[in-house]
Amino acid sequence: MRLRFGHAAGVAVLLAATAALAQSKPVAGEVAEGSLKGKTLTFVSYGGIYQDGQAAALKDFVDKSGVKLLNDGPTEIAKLQAQVESGNVTWDVVDTDDLPPYVYCGKLFQKLDLTKLDVSKIPEGQVGECSVPAMNYGVVLMYNKEKYKDNPPKSWADFFDTQKFPGVRGIDGSGSPTGGLLEQAFKVAGGDPKTMTVADIDKAIDVVRKLGPDTIFWKTGAESQQLAESGEADMLMMWTGRAMTAVKNGAKYAPAWQDWLVVMDQMTIPVGVKDTDASYALLNAYLGKNAQEILAEKTSYTPINNDAQPKVDASVSAYLTNTPERQKQGYKQNFKFWVPNFAVAQEKWSALMAGN
Amino acid sequence: MSASEPTIPAAERRWAWRPYALAMPALVLLLAVIGYPLLTIVLRSLSEPQWGLQNYIWFFSAPINLTVLQRTFVISTWVTLVCVVSAYPYAYLMTAVGPRIRLVLMLCVLIPFWVSGVVRTLSWVILLQDSGVINSILRSFGLGGVRLIRTQTGVVIGMAQVLLPFMILPLYSVMKGIDLRLMRAAQSLGARPFRAFFTIYLPLSLPGVYAGAIIVFILALGFYITPALLGGPRSTMLSTLVQTQVLSLLQWGRGGAMGVVLLVVTFVLLALAAPVMRSRYREAGRR
Repeated sequence: MRLRFGHAAGVAVLLAATAALAQSKPVAGEVAEGSLKGKTLTFVSYGGIYQDGQAAALKDFVDKSGVKLLNDGPTEIAKLQAQVESGNVTWDVVDTDDLPPYVYCGKLFQKLDLTKLDVSKIPEGQVGECSVPAMNYGVVLMYNKEKYKDNPPKSWADFFDTQKFPGVRGIDGSGSPTGGLLEQAFKVAGGDPKTMTVADIDKAIDVVRKLGPDTIFWKTGAESQQLAESGEADMLMMWTGRAMTAVKNGAKYAPAWQDWLVVMDQMTIPVGVKDTDASYALLNAYLGKNAQEILAEKTSYTPINNDAQPKVDASVSAYLTNTPERQKQGYKQNFKFWVPNFAVAQEKWSALMAGN
Repeated sequence: MSASEPTIPAAERRWAWRPYALAMPALVLLLAVIGYPLLTIVLRSLSEPQWGLQNYIWFFSAPINLTVLQRTFVISTWVTLVCVVSAYPYAYLMTAVGPRIRLVLMLCVLIPFWVSGVVRTLSWVILLQDSGVINSILRSFGLGGVRLIRTQTGVVIGMAQVLLPFMILPLYSVMKGIDLRLMRAAQSLGARPFRAFFTIYLPLSLPGVYAGAIIVFILALGFYITPALLGGPRSTMLSTLVQTQVLSLLQWGRGGAMGVVLLVVTFVLLALAAPVMRSRYREAGRR
C-alpha cells in the first residue's frame, strides 16, 4: 500500500512539475487539463479529407482543454482581410498557402511569440515570422509510363522540352504561380534562380508559354488527379497527395523526384483575434508528435514534427517527403525573391492564364 | 391628352400607396443585397488604394484586360445565338403538341434547370474531354478526335446548355399567346408556309426572342464556373480575372473597376439595342 501511495505521490509530483514546466515553457502537443473550458475557437482550413484529418489531430487537444472547436473554410485571404478591416475577426487559427503569411506578415497575421510555442521539433528553416508549417508536401513531376516507356523524363528541364518529350502538359492553374516552377523554367531559359530579377519573371513565364496551346492548366487538385486517371495529360505537375491517390486509383503514372518542389501549408493567427493565448494553445497542440502522426495517417501529408512516425502503408509512404533521400532531391524556392514580388508575379501569371 | 384624362376619385387615390407598400419587401431586399454592394464596389473602385481613376486607367492600359473583355462579349454573343437557334423550334413544338407531351417537353427543360450548374458542367467535362464520350464515339467511327474541352467551342456548348431554359421559357410564354389561326388565315389568302411564318409568326414571337436573348446574354457575361471548368487560357472570361484580383491579390479596387466596366458596357449595348427592339415591336403591332 505504501509503495503504491509512494508511486501515486511520485506521479502527482511529476505531473505537477510537468504542468509547471508547461506553464513556463510550452511542449509541443501538450495542453493543460480544462484550461480552455467554456471557450470557443474557430479553425479555418481547406476542407475535405485534409481538414477532417486536422480535426482528428486536434481531438485530443479539444478533449483535454475543454475548448469548443468550430471548423470553417475554405481559407480565403480576401475574407480574412474583410474581417481584420472591420475589426470583427472570427477566425482564430488559419491554415494558409505557402506565401501569404510572409506577404501579409504583421498586417493580417500576427508576428508569433515563440516563447508560447514549442518549435524545437519543426524541420529546419520552416518557422516564419508569422507562421509555423501545417504540413509538408511536394509538387512533383508525374509522367505517363506507357507514353514514355524506356525514355522517361527525369527533370523539369525535360518537362519543358517538347522536342525531346512530345505530349500534353498539365500545370497548376489553381490561381497563384508556383515560385519553384518558375525558377525551374528560368533555369531552362539559361538563368540562375538565385540572382533572379523582376524582369526575369517574364523570361520564366515565356518558357511556360512555349509549351503551347495544348497545355492544360488544372483548376483543382481533383482535376489534376482526373487528368492522370483518364490519361488526358502526358506529363503533369501534381501535388504529392493527389499523385499518390491517382496512382492508387490505377493511373499509369510515375514520379520523377529530381527537384520536386518543396511546399507547405502554414498555420497562422490573424491580427485581432479575441483570445490570442487560446490560439497559441491550439497551435502548440497541433505541432505535437501524436497530432502530427494522426494527421499524416489520415491525409498522407508529411508531418512537420521530426519525431513523428506515422503508420502508413507502402503506397502512402512512397509519397512522404521527409525521408533523407527525398530531402536531398527537394528544391526550395527562393522565398526572399517571391515575397516582395508576389503581386507582380501573380499579375504576369494571371495574364498567361487568361491566354495572353 | 391631359385634358381628356379622367380624374381619379378621391377614394381611389387614398389607396394608391397600397401597391407600393406591397412592393416594399422586395424593394428593401433589392436595395440591401444589390444596391448597397454595388455602391460599395463603385466606391472601392474609385478609392483604393487612394482616391482617383487609377484602377480604370490600369484596366484600359493592360492589353490582357481588353482582350478578355472583348472575348467575354464574343462568347456571350455566341451563347445567345446558339440558345436562340436551338430554343426557337423547341418552344414552338411546345405550343403545337397536346398537353401530355407538352408536360414532358417542359420537364425536359426544367429538370436540368433544377440540377446544380456545377454538376452539369462536370458532366460536360466527361462528355467533351479528349478521352471522353464524344471523342470515343468519333474514334469508333474511324474519325479523328476533336479538341472540344479547353476551347471556346466547348465553353459555348456548355454555357448554352446551362442557359437554355432562360431562352425557352420566355419564348414559350410569348408563343403560346400567338393565335395560330392567323397563320391559317394568311395561307388561305395565298401565302406559302414560309412567307406566312416570316410575315406573321416570327414578328409576333420576337418579343419572346428579345426577352430570352437579353436574359441569356446578361447571365452569360457574368459566368464563372462553366468557363473555369470547360475552358482553357484562351477562353478565360472577365469574372475569372475579377476573382484573381480580389481573392489572390486583394485588389478590391481593380476588381471593382472591372465589374463597373462590364456593367457600363452592358448598359451601353442594351441602350443601343433598345431602339431596334422597340421599332420591331411597333412594326409587329402594325402588321
